[in-house]
Amino acid sequence: MTDLAERRGMETDVYQPAEDSHLLAEVAAADIRNDDLVLEVGTGSGYVSEFVADATNSRVLGSDVNPHACENARERGVEAVRGDLVAPFRDGAFDAVLFNPPYLPTDPDEERDDWMERALSGGESGREVIDPFLDSVGRVLAPDGRVYLLVSSLSGVEEVVFRASKNGFSVVALRDESFPFETLSILKLVR
Amino acid sequence: MDIICCPLDKQELELDARQEEAEEVIFGTLTCTQCGERYPIEDGIPNLLPPDMREA
Repeated sequence: MTDLAERRGMETDVYQPAEDSHLLAEVAAADIRNDDLVLEVGTGSGYVSEFVADATNSRVLGSDVNPHACENARERGVEAVRGDLVAPFRDGAFDAVLFNPPYLPTDPDEERDDWMERALSGGESGREVIDPFLDSVGRVLAPDGRVYLLVSSLSGVEEVVFRASKNGFSVVALRDESFPFETLSILKLVR
Repeated sequence: MDIICCPLDKQELELDARQEEAEEVIFGTLTCTQCGERYPIEDGIPNLLPPDMREA
């Protein structure tokens, strides 16, 4: 997770599993119960969903705005739904929602309009996808539902925690891991 | 069907299955019982993007 230009060495239509994906998969799988119904938003390759489903026996759905990602996830055996964040899911449906969001702060003048850009770029603040997610995810959570969200120091952890609190969540960091250019944290949000 | 809904008004969807394999709908249409908006299922993937995001 260095910078966008460097990531672009590997051109593809779908974000491929990286350190952030592994971290989210591992931490979420250790915390999710066997009979949970789980949604992974922005599933990309489907790696995290497949990992969590295999590790926990829970049912995991993957959603993505990118049709190529939905196809990849389905090829891995993940039930895929094409949609915008949590918009096409029922109120109170999920015990757990996972999200490794696009979070790299990006200069608007340099943004490209392609699928890889949308998988990586969090807009100028790095939080342009995280914020609407935090504002809407509560609706699809069961009463004791939890959110497992990956955040990077690059997009500001405090701001994310503040936004989550504003939406009625209390936040704990389950794991922090340092990388050369950023620290990644897995936040667990509960109500 | 118990998990998904219309992304616009969150109402129930009615399934019209055209092709099924192993209890899974491969091709079909989901129609909102409230607003009537239609969403395609292609290659086993329901496309529940709102109409204004559906191109591409």
